[in-house]
Amino acid sequence: MSNNRVSITGDTLVIEPVGLDKLWSFTRRLKLPLAHVRGATFDPGMRDEPKGWRGPGLGLPGKLAGTFHADGGRQFWNISGYERAIVITLDPSQRYDKVVITVDDPQQVAATINAVVGARRS
Amino acid sequence: MGRPRGFDEQDAVAAATTVFRERGYAATSVDDLVAATGVHRGSLYGVFGSKHGLFLRVLDAAAQPETVATERLDVLLVALLELAPTDAPVRDLLGRVVTDHHVTAAQLGDRLLARAGLPSSGQPSTTKPPTTKEQS
Repeated sequence: MSNNRVSITGDTLVIEPVGLDKLWSFTRRLKLPLAHVRGATFDPGMRDEPKGWRGPGLGLPGKLAGTFHADGGRQFWNISGYERAIVITLDPSQRYDKVVITVDDPQQVAATINAVVGARRS
Repeated sequence: MGRPRGFDEQDAVAAATTVFRERGYAATSVDDLVAATGVHRGSLYGVFGSKHGLFLRVLDAAAQPETVATERLDVLLVALLELAPTDAPVRDLLGRVVTDHHVTAAQLGDRLLARAGLPSSGQPSTTKPPTTKEQS
């Protein structure tokens, strides 16, 4: 029961918040060009990071959805709990510098993204 | 992002190498890397992009000619075991490092045994039971 569906179509990484999370995050779908994806990391430790200021979006303990502003950048969050959180980093050409989402199999999703991104570079 | 970099990348890569050698790739958390390098999480992500990105830098450093052989072998073992089977770019990179440094299966195997504190294949059972020999 993940909050996000992650898929790769052609040269785009597609992230779809599931169900009501579309509403909370004000986002139906994020399309990230793989050429601008730097990498993905399974990182439950994001729990202790400052989230910055919120807007627009929802922020409850352990439940964040929407746009947040920290470290002088903009991040997209859609998480429930941190145990299955992954961090996707993007290059400066993109709207967000990080996308933090929960998925069913975080290690696997991160590995898949990294392998695809790596294969494009080499 | 706009601030000047407050840490030395090579120091961070060296500290990360130590952690990856001890714990392997998957078992190393970003928290471990933050603690070992002393670099903030935001800066680690900013500079290296991901744990994978940092590990690639570790691999790159291990491939340098001045790197100690045991360190290079440890990093290779971790990468071969955990990343290479599913990560084609890492596999290709490893292939090049193995060829460039003439790393043999025997070296990797010996290092694996030595790392575990076991006698290597070069010295078979003759040295294996020293305690029993002393007792008899």
